[in-house]
Amino acid sequence: TSSVLSKDRDKSAASKDSTPEGAAKRQEDGAETPKQQLLDIIGSMKVEVSYRKKLQQLKASENKKQAQDKLEGPDSEGSVPQGITEDTQGGRPLNPELVKAASAVASSLPRNKKQTESELLAQLRRHEETTDKQRKGGPVNIRNVISEMTVKRRSPAPWAVRKSGRISLQLDEDGQRIRPERSSAQAMDSRRYFCCFSFFVYRSLKVGKRLNIFTKASTEPEHALKTESSPTIWDLEFAKEVAAVTAQPPRNGFEEMIQWTKEGILWEFPIDNEVGMEDDAEFHEHIFLEKHLEGFPKEGPIRHFMELVICGLSKNPYLSVKQKVDHIEWFQKYFEEKKELLQEI
Amino acid sequence: TGGYHKCYFLNQVLPSCCLRQVRSYHVDWRMLRDVKRRKMAYEYADERLRINAIRKNSILPKELQEVADKEIAALPRDSCPVRIRNRCVLTSRPRGVKRRWRLSRIVFRHFADHAQMSGVQRAMW
Repeated sequence: TSSVLSKDRDKSAASKDSTPEGAAKRQEDGAETPKQQLLDIIGSMKVEVSYRKKLQQLKASENKKQAQDKLEGPDSEGSVPQGITEDTQGGRPLNPELVKAASAVASSLPRNKKQTESELLAQLRRHEETTDKQRKGGPVNIRNVISEMTVKRRSPAPWAVRKSGRISLQLDEDGQRIRPERSSAQAMDSRRYFCCFSFFVYRSLKVGKRLNIFTKASTEPEHALKTESSPTIWDLEFAKEVAAVTAQPPRNGFEEMIQWTKEGILWEFPIDNEVGMEDDAEFHEHIFLEKHLEGFPKEGPIRHFMELVICGLSKNPYLSVKQKVDHIEWFQKYFEEKKELLQEI
Repeated sequence: TGGYHKCYFLNQVLPSCCLRQVRSYHVDWRMLRDVKRRKMAYEYADERLRINAIRKNSILPKELQEVADKEIAALPRDSCPVRIRNRCVLTSRPRGVKRRWRLSRIVFRHFADHAQMSGVQRAMW
C-alpha cells in the first residue's frame, strides 16, 4: 500500500525521500536493524508540513513492517521490495520528463545521487506497474481500500467533533481511526459512508481511487433471461394484472397530468416539434431525387411527368425519405403494368 | 362478412383506476359507419392521391388518364374522403357541429353553461 499512497500524493520529493532511501538501505545493508533504518530516515528528513511528516511516519512504519516480513520470509507485502529488483532489471520505458524530474530531485538531495536516482526511477516503475494492474482491473480487496481510506483521511479535531454529533461514531484526535461500536460489517459500512460523506463535502469528487462499488449492472442475468423464450401470454397477463392493481388513482393534479402524459393525451414539455418524426436523412436525400428516376424512359411525357413529381416531392417537408421513395416506386410499378397500353399509343 | 359488429371497432378499455367518463360503444350505427369510412379513407389515401395525380394531368396521354379514371372508380366506395361526415362526437348529430370541438351546438351549450369548457364564456358586448 505504500506505493499506492505515494502515488496518490503529488509526486513530491519529500514523499519520495523515505521509501527510496529505505529501500536502498535495505538492499545494501542487510545487517542493519529496521529500527536503525527508521531512525536514519526520521533523522534525515527535512523541514516539512505537519501532515507530510505523519505520512512519512506511517510509511516508515510500513517499511519497517515490510522489512521485518522480508527478514522473516516472503510475504504478500514482501513482494513489494522484490518488485523493485525486478523492475530495475526489467527496464520498462518511462516518461522522459519523469526521468528528468527524478534526476533533478536526486541531484538536490545530500545523499548518494546515483543511488537515489536509481531508486526514484524504480519507484516510478512500480507506480506504472500498479496503475497498469488497476487498469486491467485486478482483484479489488475492499478491506485494504477501506483501511487505506481511513489512514489517508486527515480531519482536524473540531471537524471530527462536529461530525460525531451528527453520526454516532467516535473519532480519535487526528481522525485516524473509528472505534467500531457495532459488528464489523456494519462498522465497515458506516466507515465507508463516513469517508464518502467526508470526501463529498470537503474534497472534489474526483480525488481518490475508484472503488468500483457502483459498477454498471452486469449483463449476465440479462443473458440468462433472454435464453428463455419470449414472454408468454401468461407473463403478459400477469404483468398487466400487477400494473392494474398497483396503479392507484391519482392523488393530485400533478399525478393526473403525469398519467395523461403517459397515455399520450398531454404533450411533453418543453414542446418538441419533432416528436414522432425520426428522420435521420440528410437534406440532400430529400431534394436530389433524380437517382430514383433510373427506371423510367429518358424522354417522353412520362419522364416529364415524373420530373414534375420529383420537383413537388423535393419541396415537401412533411414526408419522410422512405415515403417519397415509395411514392416514386409506386409510379414505376404502375407504368410498368401499363406498358402494353403505352406501346399502342 | 355477414355480421359486421361493433366489436371490431370497440373503443379501447382504459384501466380501472381511471375516473373519467368512458363509453365503450358508438352512439348509433350511423356513427359506426362513419368510423369505418374514415378508416378506409385513411388506408386508400395514398393510392387515391397518386391515381388522381395521373388523371388531373395535361402531360400524359388521354388514354392513360381514362384508364386511371376506371381504376379509381373501381376502388371501394367507402374509401373516398367525401363520404365522411363530421358528426358530433357525443350525440352523433350530423348537423350543427362545430369543428373545433367536434360537438353539436346543443352539447356545446350544455357544457359551456356548466363551466366545463375551458376558455369558453358567454358573449356579452
